[in-house]
Amino acid sequence: MKTTTIAKASLQPPSREPARKPDTAVVKKGLFQSAATLVMLFFGILMVVPFLWMISTSFKTPAEVFQYPIKWIPADLRWDHHIKVWTGDNSFVHYYLNSLKVSIISTAGATFLSAFAAYGFARIYFKGRNALFMIYLSMMMVPPQVLFVPKFLMFDWAGIYNTHLALILPGLFTIFGVFMMRQFFLSVPYEISESAFIDGAGHFRIFFQLVLPLAKPALATLAIIDFSWHWNDYENALVFLIDDSLYTVPLGLQNFILENTVDYNGMMAAATAGIIPMIIVFLLGQRFIVQGISNTAVKG
Amino acid sequence: MKMNNWMRRQSMLGYLFIGPNMLGVLLFFVIPALYSFYLMFTDYKFMNPEVSFVGLDNIKRLFQDELFYLSLKNTVIFLLSVPVSIGLAFLVAVVLNGAVYMKKLLRALFFMPYITSGVAIAFVWMLLFQPQQGPINGFLRAIGFSNPPGWLSTTETSMLAIDIIWIWFMLGYNMIIYLAALQEISSELLEAARMDGAKRWQIIRSIVWPLVSPTTFLLLITGLIMTIKTFGIIQAITQGGPGNSTTILSLFVYQNAFRYYDMGYAATISWALFALILVITMIQWWGQKRWVHY
Repeated sequence: MKTTTIAKASLQPPSREPARKPDTAVVKKGLFQSAATLVMLFFGILMVVPFLWMISTSFKTPAEVFQYPIKWIPADLRWDHHIKVWTGDNSFVHYYLNSLKVSIISTAGATFLSAFAAYGFARIYFKGRNALFMIYLSMMMVPPQVLFVPKFLMFDWAGIYNTHLALILPGLFTIFGVFMMRQFFLSVPYEISESAFIDGAGHFRIFFQLVLPLAKPALATLAIIDFSWHWNDYENALVFLIDDSLYTVPLGLQNFILENTVDYNGMMAAATAGIIPMIIVFLLGQRFIVQGISNTAVKG
Repeated sequence: MKMNNWMRRQSMLGYLFIGPNMLGVLLFFVIPALYSFYLMFTDYKFMNPEVSFVGLDNIKRLFQDELFYLSLKNTVIFLLSVPVSIGLAFLVAVVLNGAVYMKKLLRALFFMPYITSGVAIAFVWMLLFQPQQGPINGFLRAIGFSNPPGWLSTTETSMLAIDIIWIWFMLGYNMIIYLAALQEISSELLEAARMDGAKRWQIIRSIVWPLVSPTTFLLLITGLIMTIKTFGIIQAITQGGPGNSTTILSLFVYQNAFRYYDMGYAATISWALFALILVITMIQWWGQKRWVHY
């Protein structure tokens, strides 16, 4: 106690005096900025409280789950809930593999096919192009609910209902992706193509050797956004899959929760397993995501 | 003649590039949409192989269905979350765009729910909202509410709880777009206003807010459409209950199609959903011309 007062007393005068003399406005501004930061930090942490609570609960004992005031760091870390999620008959390893398979194939295909089509829409002049693009845009208005029933009947007829193909095949085509890549290709100066034409290159070479390398950031953005859609896609999986062995992570999670209705710690360990890959994608790709979202929205 | 050949070649190339994607769009969007439109006029039930044309019966049934009106009402309550989220996002964006430290960290904190959250986080909220022992009501009791709401467990408050989750989820997306829009406002303009003695709040209200009106409008339209299409989180945590109090239109389609296998009727409801989106899009076309100043 004593040492702190001494420390304060000896520290305060020299640090305050010079600051006040040069410019009170600067100090005032700094104080305001600090206060604003603190307030925003409070709300910002409030935004991620559900994540923190989820992770914290996944390490607690059942008795600690609903203790109030909340014990953020449990007395001893319990790993058994996580072990339960990752082992056994309905292990999340299984759901992860299914999700990775569906998400990676869909994302890779959709990113390439979108870029390919977007090049056609943005950089080749041909009859009916604008009319076609209007049809594309109008399809964005059709809610997925309109398509669920006919797709269910068509997939059942084609024999791909209740297979991963029912998620992968439609997943290869995204209208948003075409729209986004077209925006990007329109911004690439046309002179680049012209000089390549003079050198005798055709559209295919220009696309693969000139435009596609330029589009790497845009492709990365689309791939990240598309991957997160497929990873989080619960609705399509719900409609088109019935066998547990085919379940992707969101359905696996639901399955786990239906089978363990009172095991709250297990539920939160399972939810953590579902969210972790997205947190990694978010941390690694935040820059691309922010760029992509603001570009399509502000220019679109 | 030579020009004609060139044009034809260009068209061929164009279709070659668009072709693969177009095939998919045709198969998975256009044909199902037409098929669904046809189903609207049939009594197709998945278990019953006999299909007959019933004309407008499904539409008549829709307008007499009390559950349709209830789910329409719930959809409207769900949509109220959109302007609230946009308003909050505007405030957050203005502060983050101005004088604060740790901008990147703060932006990431607000943005995280939007990117990372699928159904998984819905289950977390389900526990947070737990009425007897959940942490939210624990907090409310601690600050003096002896009788906190039942949230997802009562018909009166279940939609409110869903709205809170949705506001939380959409906030980051709206904020990111506002931040991009705020970057476009010239700092000289704001400086000039400050020189003339305008207060911080006055600048925000009478300069910044009108200048970002195109963004606000765009967020409103895209947010409404996106919200109308959603049902995953609701299906995951309430399945439309308690007592249909969280059955929104999109979920109503799902239930009729895949719980009752009443395909014709489900298709009909889905087109009502489309009509709602169409109205919002038409407001956008109309509004872009008069309401927004670029």
